[in-house]
Amino acid sequence: MTDQSVDAEPAGQNIAGEAPVEEPEGVTDDTTVHDDDVELERTIGIVGGLAIGIGTMIGAGIFVFPGLAADNAGPAATLSFAIGGLIALLVALPTSELATAMPRSGGGYYFISRGMGTAYGAIVGLGLWLGLMFAAAFYLVGLGHYASAVFTELGVALPFSPVIGIGLLFGAALTALSIGGTENTAKIQNVVVGILLVVLTGFLSYGVLDAVGVFGGGTVPEQFFSRGYFPVLTTAALVFTSYLGFAQVATVAGEIKQPGRNLPLAMVGSVLIVTVFYVVTIFVATSAFGADRLGQFGETAMVEVARDFLGLPGAVAILGAGLLATFSSANASILSASRAVYALSRDALLPRKASEVNLRYGTPHVALLAAGGPILVLVATGQVELLAEVASFLHLIMYGLMCVALIVLRRRDPEWYSPSYRVPGYPVVPAVGALASFGLIAFMQFESIGIGIVVMLVSYLWYRYYAGDVTLKGDI
Amino acid sequence: MTDRPSILVPLRVLEGESVPEGVPELLANAHVVLLGYHVIPEQTAPGQAQMQFEDRATERLEEYETIFEDAGATVERRLVFTHDGQKTIDRTTTEHDCLAVVVPNATGPVEDVLVAVRGAVGIDRLARVVAGLFGETDVSVTLYHVARADETDEDAGTLLAGLEDRLGDLGMDTSTIETRVDRDRDPLDAIVEAADAFDTVVMGESDPSLSTFVFGMPADQVADRFLGPVLVVQRGPASDGVETDGEA
Repeated sequence: MTDQSVDAEPAGQNIAGEAPVEEPEGVTDDTTVHDDDVELERTIGIVGGLAIGIGTMIGAGIFVFPGLAADNAGPAATLSFAIGGLIALLVALPTSELATAMPRSGGGYYFISRGMGTAYGAIVGLGLWLGLMFAAAFYLVGLGHYASAVFTELGVALPFSPVIGIGLLFGAALTALSIGGTENTAKIQNVVVGILLVVLTGFLSYGVLDAVGVFGGGTVPEQFFSRGYFPVLTTAALVFTSYLGFAQVATVAGEIKQPGRNLPLAMVGSVLIVTVFYVVTIFVATSAFGADRLGQFGETAMVEVARDFLGLPGAVAILGAGLLATFSSANASILSASRAVYALSRDALLPRKASEVNLRYGTPHVALLAAGGPILVLVATGQVELLAEVASFLHLIMYGLMCVALIVLRRRDPEWYSPSYRVPGYPVVPAVGALASFGLIAFMQFESIGIGIVVMLVSYLWYRYYAGDVTLKGDI
Repeated sequence: MTDRPSILVPLRVLEGESVPEGVPELLANAHVVLLGYHVIPEQTAPGQAQMQFEDRATERLEEYETIFEDAGATVERRLVFTHDGQKTIDRTTTEHDCLAVVVPNATGPVEDVLVAVRGAVGIDRLARVVAGLFGETDVSVTLYHVARADETDEDAGTLLAGLEDRLGDLGMDTSTIETRVDRDRDPLDAIVEAADAFDTVVMGESDPSLSTFVFGMPADQVADRFLGPVLVVQRGPASDGVETDGEA
């Protein structure tokens, strides 16, 4: 058992007179230890960690984006996903180091507030909470598309488009379930991810064999960069939403067993696994139909690809998988958002009331409502691409700052900073990670950037107004 | 008092589980590791529950600590917020090197104890618990064994005599110890039935197997059916063999 001290000392008070909760005395493989013999048990293993990462990510990249991405970038969308994966990896490595040095709940927010101070922390923390809401809303709209595709499949003609309604319904149901449900949600998540990986592996293996001509299908002949080079980058910026899951592992860092080993494995592992799945998926999809036709199918393009390969059973399997995947992504995001609210309220950046635990169910009902409520508003807009990009924007800011925080911490080298995993290729990897994260933002639509900047400004003003006196930076 | 056996007393402190009557007296000669734990759903961060409930839980634990100390035990206190109560109990048992875990049920004054002996494995720890807790008291101890079909009466007798000798080595007055052997019965039913006439049961923990996976640990089943407290003697760290890494 390795004992590790966490020596950052938060101070100050917010406008309501609440001070940040004291830091724990130490971290072991199995617990976080507070004074007076109080311990917080670590219960999530490597499988659970991977399931959070993969479960959050795999929903969007495979089941929502292929059609949109192919429409934007042509077959080179494969490259867009590869670029996204590379950037995610460049960020996941530094994040792993930070997480092993500070295995506490709150993830990126915690690292940045301790490494760079409260102002940056507040912008990232509030941004993370809102970013997760945008992401969850995006997954729910995707879920709505899949559910309405089921209606179409059944031959039920509806006089209106049920996409938004279904998204809202599931959003409300998920929030209610996480408040009232005492079922073992993590175990369910593990099973769902397992099923998804099996279905996808089978489907993609068939698709690859078909694309190389084994079943006589072959590839639709098309120029790789059919839309030019620039759209490859803008598409990478768009589809980056499908890589937003790995840092969610860090939001439950305080609950991961053997954090020094499991956190890096879960984060880097989940990025590598989903990147492979994404790239293969796009390759298979564009090979089967060509980018133009794929683009016309929109959000549920994969269903058509499956139908082309395996007929109705294939379409049904992918429909089911799509429902499961978008559902699990939305669920994971709502839970992470609630963890983010807890981390902020622990540090007095949000009212303490926000992380209150419900006496009847033992669940944080205020935090879950604070996540679930706004999500419904966002779902109601139904803007898939915009939701995705704003979510990406807010996460990319956090990713970039995490890389910067790592460099800051390494240079100042405070006594308490002793990560058990060190990023290879320092300082090049975190520096490139930061540049790539910030760089990707430049390729987004102006609207998304605008909304993102407004969110950051509001976050900063909230911090100045509510908690200007709170200092969270670690002893340096 | 160097050979006070360490006994874990797990209590779901915030769900109204308190120290049952008779248990403090039962553990008067023990070193009690008092584990207050609170199981929270996955949606909740353990730290979140801690923020809200730590003071209340600590207050109650302090009360319980006093109760055990007044009865004569030495006490060590732990408060844990967890998603997985069993993991917390197992970990605390290992970390504090506890010989046994109590399934806390109420009892009257303890006058007689049934010690269920399964086999020679782990018999030393069993002896240390029994001798440590009851060696210097008037409690009458009955060693009980359910013989398997391929086991002769002689084998069973040797087993119990061996334990009796060991208890004698540890300073117990062996003349008060009784022995009893049954055979051709389901051990579980036999123990529960025999236990009826006793105030407390001491028994060993079984090795995990398919049937324990399906039906639960025999010790837990006995505890469910026998209404008094059960002391479950833990397998030693050495025989732990396979380190369980949870879901990994």
